[in-house]
Order: sequence, then structure tokens, then C-alpha cells
Amino acid sequence: MKETQGVFLTGYVTVKVIGHYPELFFDVCARKGVTVWNIKKTSKTECEGNIRLRDIPLLKSVRRNTVYKVTFVHRKGIPFLSKRFLSHKPLIIGLFLSMFFVLFLSNIVWDVKVKGVHPEIEKRIVDQLNEYGIQPGAMKFKIDPPSQIQQQLLNDIPELLWVGVTEKGTTYHLEGVEKTVVEEEETNGPRNLVAAKDGVIVDMYVSKGRPVVQVNDYVERGDLLVSGALREQQNEEDEDSDEEKKDEQQQVVSAEGEVIAKTWYETEVNIPLKTNYEVLTGENKYKYFLKFASVFIPIWGFTDPDFDQIQTEVNERQFKFLKWDLPISFVEHNVQEKTNLSDERSKEVAVKDGIEQAKTDLQKQLGPDAKISFEKVLHESIDSGKVNLNLYFTVEEDIVKIQPLSQGD
Amino acid sequence: MNKWQRRIGNWLTEHLELPSDVILELPRITTIGKIHAYIENHRGLILFSDNELRLKMEYGYLKITGKNFVLKMMLPEEILLEGTINDIQFIDH
Repeated sequence: MKETQGVFLTGYVTVKVIGHYPELFFDVCARKGVTVWNIKKTSKTECEGNIRLRDIPLLKSVRRNTVYKVTFVHRKGIPFLSKRFLSHKPLIIGLFLSMFFVLFLSNIVWDVKVKGVHPEIEKRIVDQLNEYGIQPGAMKFKIDPPSQIQQQLLNDIPELLWVGVTEKGTTYHLEGVEKTVVEEEETNGPRNLVAAKDGVIVDMYVSKGRPVVQVNDYVERGDLLVSGALREQQNEEDEDSDEEKKDEQQQVVSAEGEVIAKTWYETEVNIPLKTNYEVLTGENKYKYFLKFASVFIPIWGFTDPDFDQIQTEVNERQFKFLKWDLPISFVEHNVQEKTNLSDERSKEVAVKDGIEQAKTDLQKQLGPDAKISFEKVLHESIDSGKVNLNLYFTVEEDIVKIQPLSQGD
Repeated sequence: MNKWQRRIGNWLTEHLELPSDVILELPRITTIGKIHAYIENHRGLILFSDNELRLKMEYGYLKITGKNFVLKMMLPEEILLEGTINDIQFIDH
């Protein structure tokens, strides 16, 4: 039966043959190579059978030499169906419009849901999102990717500790965690303050505890600065003291205070005499493409700008159909002009820049409270276009380090 | 086919076990119960109606009678008949 397989796809017709002994007409057809099936004799002079659509010309040539009358009764199969479908223009237009409509609606934000934060913060998040253009009704491909939104939100709303942005179909789900301002836990345990670095004490302010050093003392790292024990240890030698007194002796507090000391740092910096850097001139041009799989179709901005050197920023937004990503995306190229600048500086300027650089590095390392007060160039040499500097800094900073007193037995 | 050829054909089918329908140009009729008949190697259609099918053969003709006959498939030398078959007759000239 494989001859009649797939006839629905290629199309077939039912023909009716009228005449004397109509079955003989089908016999002639079969001999000419026309496959005929489902032959039924409906009356003495009428016979029906199916033939393939592509055999019709052959059938017609067979009929020409005979006296039979041939009519087509049914037309079946895909070719006829598609022909009938294509003749209904409004239907096709409607279908395309509805597809386009669904495509359009799939690329719109329908809902923004915020979870896990107080209503007050939620309101701020929603307002902030509105400012970014994320609100029900916004086109999706204009919106930044979730990770970027996340970063922006965290920057703009300092109360947020973390925010998770997920894009589920046409809905944006946001989950936030607020910062809860926790008072720094007061360590009430007894403790000493010791020196974190070597230095000469410049100033000290002790609010709790018993200071054991004085201004202008030189301390080394690990030396005791402020003791938590209020009584001096020597008193312990007093053997006659009664129980109460002993209790008092052991009275210890949590030492608190600030000890500002002069400390010293030696750092090494290299500064090149010649520098090259790239600068964007500010001239730019936007180009827009539609990307199908890997084929770019330009929509706007067809010509390349005549820049010598360019830097291109690519921004791609994918289209969606319902929940699926389509292999179509909207691509924006921002072509920017850049120029190379080279700068040569004298040794004096290089040294000055080096000191400045070392200073800011050190400030970063020590925190904003440290006061860098004095610097000195210990050693200076020029080697292969670079100035090597050995610098010496004097810094005034808090050198306090907490040392808990163990209360064990 | 002359006499000589027939004799060679007979000899071939007997001694080399070749299928006789091919060598002797006889029709091969396969029936499935009484509902289907598959006839190969016929020499043309003589008559077809609701209750009768006549096919030409090399020698004489084949007559199949029954009810509700439909030719399910018709190829140059093959015919698949469907219906209720009552009788298959070989009629010599």
C-alpha cells in the first residue's frame, strides 16, 4: 500500500467516470502508470476512483482517446486546503495581526511585585523603578538586565542590604532585604588596650581604665597602653588584705580610649615618565540592528562614522514570545571616537606625583582618621623610563588594639 | 510463449525451485480469508462490478464473485480487491 502513502500531503482527487464499462477506463489508466485506488462501481455506467493530483495531466491525455466522460467529485489534501486557506485574505491578516499582538504583549512589563520589605521601602523601590522606566506597560527591551537594575537599586536606596530582581515572563519579581541597624554590641567583658604598632604617643584620651603610658612615651607593638584592672598589681603583694579587699583588687573594667601616636612608614613607588592613555572625544554615533540568530539587519545608522579609532558599546535586548526567548534581538551599537594621548613629564613632576600617589595609597590603607604629616624621599633613582622612589612617612593615628582579659580560673 | 519455452520453464521450476508464477507467467493470487484478494501478474481487467471481477490471464481468464467489491488499489499488473469473496474460478478458453 505504499503507493498511496502520503497522498494527503501531495493531494488527491476522486474522479467519476461515466460510460459503458467504466472500469475499463481505470484499467487503461493503470497501464499508463496512473495509480488508482478505492475504485467503486456505483451503477452500471458509473465508476468512482481516487487518483493522485500529479497524475491528472496523464489522466486527461488518456481520456482524450476514449469516449468516457470524466468529472472530479472530491478534492482532498494539503494543496487544496492551503489553496482554500490562502484565498481567505482577512483570515490570514487576522492571524498575522494576532501573532504580532501576542509578540507585542509578550514584550511588555505587566506587573512588578516587591516582596520581603516594609511598605515604606516598597514604595520607595516602586518609585525608583518608575524612575528607571520599569512599570506596568513599559517596553521590555528598553529595560536594563536584572543584574544592572539590582546594582542601581542598591546604590539608590541605601536602606537595602540586598535586592534580588528576577524576570519571570512579563512580571518582575523583586525581593529585598533591609539593613537592620544593629547597635554595636558593647563588649562589656574586661579588656586592656595595647599598642597595635610602634610609635611615639602624641595624645591620649582615656574614658575608662587606667592609663599606663604617658604622652611622648615610645611604645612598641603589643605594649600595654590602658589597663582594665583599676588597681595596680603591686597591691596584690599585700598579704594582709581581707577577702573584701581581694575582691576589689580583682575589679576590672572594659578599657576604652584613644591613643594617638606618631608612627612611621616606608613605601616604594614607581612612576613612569612617559604615559599613554586613551580618551573618548565625545563624538559618537548610534546604530541600531535587528539580530536574527547571527544575522544583523541594520534598522538605523547605515554608515560607519569616519573616526580613526573607535570603541563600540554593544547593548542587546532579546524579544520574547510568551515565555520563550525568540532568536530575535534588538541591538544598539554606540560607536565612540577615541584618541590616544601621550604625556611626558619631567622628573620633578614625576616625583611630586609619586609622593601624592603614595600618600593616597597610604591613606586608603590606614583609613580617613589617620593624619599623614611628614614625608621624606629616602632614595631616588631613574631606571628604564621610570622613577623609583623610596618614601618615608610620619603618620599620626590611633594605635589602640583591644586585648580581652581572660576571666578564667 | 511457445512449447519449447514452456518446457524449459517447467524444468526450471522443478529443478531450480524458482517461483512458478515468474517463470510461467501465471497469476499469483493471495487471499486473506474471504475479505481480501491480491492478484499479481494479470493481463488486464475485463469486467468489474459490485459483485464480480474478471481478469485476463495468459491462458483464459479469472473470475471472482462475491459482494461489496471495491478495488483498493490498481497498478499496471497488480490488483487488490476488497469485499466478501465467495468464489474464485479459472476459466479456460
